[in-house]
Amino acid sequence: MSTPVPAVRAPGADTEAVQVATRVLGRGTRLPGWFVILWRNGKCRLGLLMLAGFVLVAIFAPVIGRYDPRDDDFDTSAGPSAAHWLGTTALGEDVFAQLVFGARTSLVVGIAAGLLCTVIGLVVGLTAGYLGGWLDEVLSFFINLGLVVPALPLMVTLAAYSPVRGLTLIILVISVTGWAYGARIKRSQIITLRTRDYITAARFAGDRTARIIAHEIVPNMTSLIVVGFMGAALGAIGGEAGLAFLGLGDPQTVSWGTMLNQASLGGALLSGQWAWLIAPGAALALLITSFTLINFGIDALSNPHLRED
Amino acid sequence: MNLFQPEPRGAHTPRPTLRSDEPQGEVEKGSMALLEVENLSVTYAPRDAPVTRAVQDVSFRIREGEFVGLLGESGCGKSTLGNGILRLLSPPARISGGRVVLDGVDLTGADEERLRGLRWTNLSTVFQSSMNSLNPVLRIEAQFAETFAAHRVGEEVGARVVELLRMVSLDPGVLRAYPHELSGGMRQRVALALALALRPRLVLLDEPTTGLDVVVQRNILDRLATLRHELGFAVLFISHDLGTVLEMADRVMVMYAGEIVEDRPAPDLVREAQHPYTRGLLGSYADPRSAEVRVSYIPGRPPDLSVEQPGCRFTPRCPYAEDACGQRRPELRPDDGGLVRCLVAQDGRLPRTPAGAGPGLPVFVGFPAAAGLDRSADPPPEQAVGDPVLLVDDVTKRYTTRRGLRTTSVDAVRGVSLALRPGRVTALVGQSGSGKTTIARLVTGVERPTSGQVRFTAADSTTEVRVDRLRGRALRDYRRHVQMIFQDPFSALNPTRTVGYALSRPLVNYHGLRGPAVRERAAELLESVGLAPAGQFLDKLPHQLSGGQRQRVVTARALAPEPEILIADEPVSMLDVSIRAEILELLGKLVRTRRLAMLYITHDLLSARLLADEVLVLNHGDLVEQGPTLEVVGAARDDYTRLLLDSIPNPFSAARRPG
Amino acid sequence: MLYFVRRFAFFVATLWAAVTLNFLIPRLQPGDPAEAIVSRLAGRNEAIDPAQVRAVRIMLGAPDGSLLEQYVQYLGAVARGDFGVSYSYFPYSVTHMIGQTLLWTVILVGVTQVISFVVGTLLGTWAAYRRNSRVDSIITLGSTFLGTLPFFWLALLLIYVFAITLRWFPERGGYGGGSTPGWSWLFVSDAIQHSVLPATALLITGPIGWIIGMRNNMVQSLGEDHARLALARGLPRRRIALTYGARLAILPNVTGFAIALGGILGGTVLVESVFNYPGMGRLLLEAVSNRDFPLMQAIFLFTTIGVLVANFLADVLYGVLDPRVRRAEST
Ligand SMILES: Nc1ncnc2c1ncn2[C@@H]1O[C@H](COP(=O)(O)OP(=O)(O)O)[C@@H](O)[C@H]1O
Ligand code: SF4
Ligand SMILES: [Mg+2]
Repeated sequence: MSTPVPAVRAPGADTEAVQVATRVLGRGTRLPGWFVILWRNGKCRLGLLMLAGFVLVAIFAPVIGRYDPRDDDFDTSAGPSAAHWLGTTALGEDVFAQLVFGARTSLVVGIAAGLLCTVIGLVVGLTAGYLGGWLDEVLSFFINLGLVVPALPLMVTLAAYSPVRGLTLIILVISVTGWAYGARIKRSQIITLRTRDYITAARFAGDRTARIIAHEIVPNMTSLIVVGFMGAALGAIGGEAGLAFLGLGDPQTVSWGTMLNQASLGGALLSGQWAWLIAPGAALALLITSFTLINFGIDALSNPHLRED
Repeated sequence: MNLFQPEPRGAHTPRPTLRSDEPQGEVEKGSMALLEVENLSVTYAPRDAPVTRAVQDVSFRIREGEFVGLLGESGCGKSTLGNGILRLLSPPARISGGRVVLDGVDLTGADEERLRGLRWTNLSTVFQSSMNSLNPVLRIEAQFAETFAAHRVGEEVGARVVELLRMVSLDPGVLRAYPHELSGGMRQRVALALALALRPRLVLLDEPTTGLDVVVQRNILDRLATLRHELGFAVLFISHDLGTVLEMADRVMVMYAGEIVEDRPAPDLVREAQHPYTRGLLGSYADPRSAEVRVSYIPGRPPDLSVEQPGCRFTPRCPYAEDACGQRRPELRPDDGGLVRCLVAQDGRLPRTPAGAGPGLPVFVGFPAAAGLDRSADPPPEQAVGDPVLLVDDVTKRYTTRRGLRTTSVDAVRGVSLALRPGRVTALVGQSGSGKTTIARLVTGVERPTSGQVRFTAADSTTEVRVDRLRGRALRDYRRHVQMIFQDPFSALNPTRTVGYALSRPLVNYHGLRGPAVRERAAELLESVGLAPAGQFLDKLPHQLSGGQRQRVVTARALAPEPEILIADEPVSMLDVSIRAEILELLGKLVRTRRLAMLYITHDLLSARLLADEVLVLNHGDLVEQGPTLEVVGAARDDYTRLLLDSIPNPFSAARRPG
Repeated sequence: MLYFVRRFAFFVATLWAAVTLNFLIPRLQPGDPAEAIVSRLAGRNEAIDPAQVRAVRIMLGAPDGSLLEQYVQYLGAVARGDFGVSYSYFPYSVTHMIGQTLLWTVILVGVTQVISFVVGTLLGTWAAYRRNSRVDSIITLGSTFLGTLPFFWLALLLIYVFAITLRWFPERGGYGGGSTPGWSWLFVSDAIQHSVLPATALLITGPIGWIIGMRNNMVQSLGEDHARLALARGLPRRRIALTYGARLAILPNVTGFAIALGGILGGTVLVESVFNYPGMGRLLLEAVSNRDFPLMQAIFLFTTIGVLVANFLADVLYGVLDPRVRRAEST
């Protein structure tokens, strides 16, 4: 507080700068500022368009898919044809219908687990970072623990114990194993922000802690929260696919992971049904690509070193 | 020329004055210059922002052994120019025109290998923050060793490094240390020793002591002066601090908005500055020890360099501006003994410095003088001094830190007593780490004293509040009476919140205002700190304001709860010199008209002299001297106070020199 | 010194937490865990082998005692390395089964991760050194693209192309039917043959994180004042890139390694499953599908301990490499 040192921009200043930029841009339009910024970045725009495509497919899955993905009245292990664009499974289900409905599962899991991870991370990170002291010690320990415990084996173990394996359980398991990374980043960000003079000033202006967190700190972290959500959603999509591929997914739900699992078990490799094998993986890859592209935009904004040229 | 001869040390000023008596301002054509900068321009072309012409058409020369200062407000392009000379610019910055010739070699055209050979052996540098300029994972000795190795200096390197460290008064033990194990001052000395390692002919120093304590700064400046004298290298000394530049340099170049606007020997510059901007800068400085102290400021702010501007760039801020100034761009032209870029000065129509001003008291016609300051010269009558609103009584604060099993305790403050009275400013002066901020934290109830009391009595009541015992709700209620003004105006306002929001919080929380009343009151507050018309500012975000405007908003927010006490922790130290007086004037006026009690924390004795009625000097937690400002500053009794005073760079020593 | 003490304390604390977590997981469900598990076994319409019931009881420890007694007993068993009897591989003990598979996984993961780290770090350094050149864009875009490909899908494609279509490598398993495990040349070469595809799957995606991390860190450290001053000092560009860029940029990657390891093990489970590779990951999946709870839990505990040890070693290494943290206080 007292040393006459000119401002050395601490880490975290960057996210504040992004926030300012988003505020400024958001003013003229009705869209949120962060969206305007993302939209202006070419890569990011492509990613957003791709993601929008997936969302549309997921919403209109029954129309686009043409068949019920569980309907196994067709020929088994057939190659692509006019009736079955990507062929049928070993049980006689339509691969294309499954692919289309799989988008639903991935997006639902991604959004739900992403939100859950973000909320847990935010609560834990905010509490630890803002209040500090022994509470921080304890919470940081749990964050670090959450970071080092191998996620997939933990997911597998947790999933194995549960009597029913619905999608909700999958989402919970993924969130329980995936919140720590976001919490760590948010904690360190808050530690930087809470030493800002404007926080002290808010306290002197009579604001209470909850208000300070909600009105002074969180608005300076929205880009971080968005990035964190994207990362968590991406992890969740991958996690669900992995679990399902291992046969530990929700047996009632069609997902790209279960499709690959069945393709692998059902001999897609041996019968040469490349479409059945390629399509779900490619869909997953494209969805991940769209997230990666969007993250490019966010990253480039918040890290000036990676920004120009 | 006695440049290389030591002068006898004066009895009272323990620093060598190393100056040539020769006027050196004008470089004769033909005389061989060590460094020649010809029409150098540098532009920043970032991807998502307009192109900024940070340095424009700059030309100058530095002769062998010459000490040249480069002075100007922050953002006027000094560092960019320095980096251009060093060829250290990286995208989005690039040299867009001109040449840099060092000892006959064109650096701007040299290939990388050629450049590498010249670097450090001919041209070395010290950056502002040596915090980051040393490799954190290499020991100091390794950084010396690699420097020698890069230039194939093999023999007797060990002895030479020890000698270099001795030159900057450092123990050879630091060689085994990592940078983070050294203090800021030590690191800066290491950086200086490193800069001299290969006996360069020119050393470029970019704000080498900014951010260091005055005493440490004094030390380094003295070492620098002696070394320059012993080794005879030339220096380009970049700083925004008028005091240091004028004290150290033979010749000073003043930079404004990317251009050199004046270039002249230091003594002449002090005596008869020809550019209005230089005069403005000089006017913002005064010697705190003088019997009478007056300062002025330059209103407004430097122009946005991404916008093309016809005519003189100083026009909007210039008190001497004429119609022609807005249209015709002045050239940098020689006048008697120097160069100046001003239409009016070139015509010889600039008002002369008042003859009676004398050294230490330059008062220039035209710049607004900071009124309402320096009240100590004329102390208020006894009865006007009210009862204290806050008493700090024999307070000690001990911090105990645990590191593993060891515990260490430090007394941040020891047995300090002070009183704050309505309408009076009490200044707390001392080096960083002397306990100033701890006292502020005790007064605001953020910390509790280990022993002693802090007592507060509101003006309209007789009950005493024990601040050292407050917690929870009571503490929040107390804060209504004690408000803060912060050092860094950039950190004191939430970048995502409008000015109106910042001002509304105390009004809502403490006065229960709602709806349009909040906005009305906020507007009044803004006008009371000189931001008018207020409507124009209420919806602005902090980044749309200048540093000075932000500090005004911060002040308005502090006034909102109608407090009895204002704590101002270094409120002007991060502001440009040219506008400090403006903020000090505002604070002084508010204290008087609103009968506020102010605790003014500073390491800068000039501002304390200007603003405070009473000065308290702290040294390592002890109160070493206390009394009316004029007495403490003018006739210090304590050794430490005298050390602080003697450490202040004195630009007017140049004027006193024969010349 | 304090730094190392703190890191060791963290290691011990996480170890304890992992052991406790392992104790709690089967007890999270309502009711008597042993009964629940046994009834789950019964639910599969198979005759319940008394040995299985016994194994469950052993795994859960003193089933009739209080939770605390169970906990104490459990801790004792873990300390002795006694995880009970596997009931899908009865009468082998859990420890024996893990011992059978441990080496396969350790070698596969160890070798591929060391290669990934080295290759990734080198490529990242190269990309940063040649920032904004063709090399840089090829490296960064290439690794970003590969990073989006789902890992197990890639493994399936490898099998499809190189094992089934081209028949260059065996399709599945850790060794052929003809050879018996042992340290004979025949067996080792057979095992290497079998491990090429799983290792490739791990190596395609393994270096990506290191490449991106290294490049971005190095670009950042080369932009800092000390690197600029090094340039001004006339140090050769290569030396600046190494001691002012790479040397500093590698530090975050060392700690990153610990965090990445958990994810890497997840990848191994998938790869072992795809290739039917006789490692711990496949054993875990088998345990899950056979509802062999003692085995499952022990594998989870083993992998976690492995990660924690690696994490601790990475912390120690970090402390050695970075003089600053040895004085830093917070975890
Ligand atoms: N990285 C950058 N990108 C764009 N403009 C910059 C950058 N750095 C500095 N500038 C601009 O260049 C001008 C000069 O800055 P600088 O050389 O740092 O001034 P000084 O050293 O005098 O404070 C300023 O107007 C500033 O806004
Ligand atoms: S040219 Fe005109 S505006 Fe510029 S400094 Fe001189 S008098 Fe002022
Ligand atoms: Mg500068």
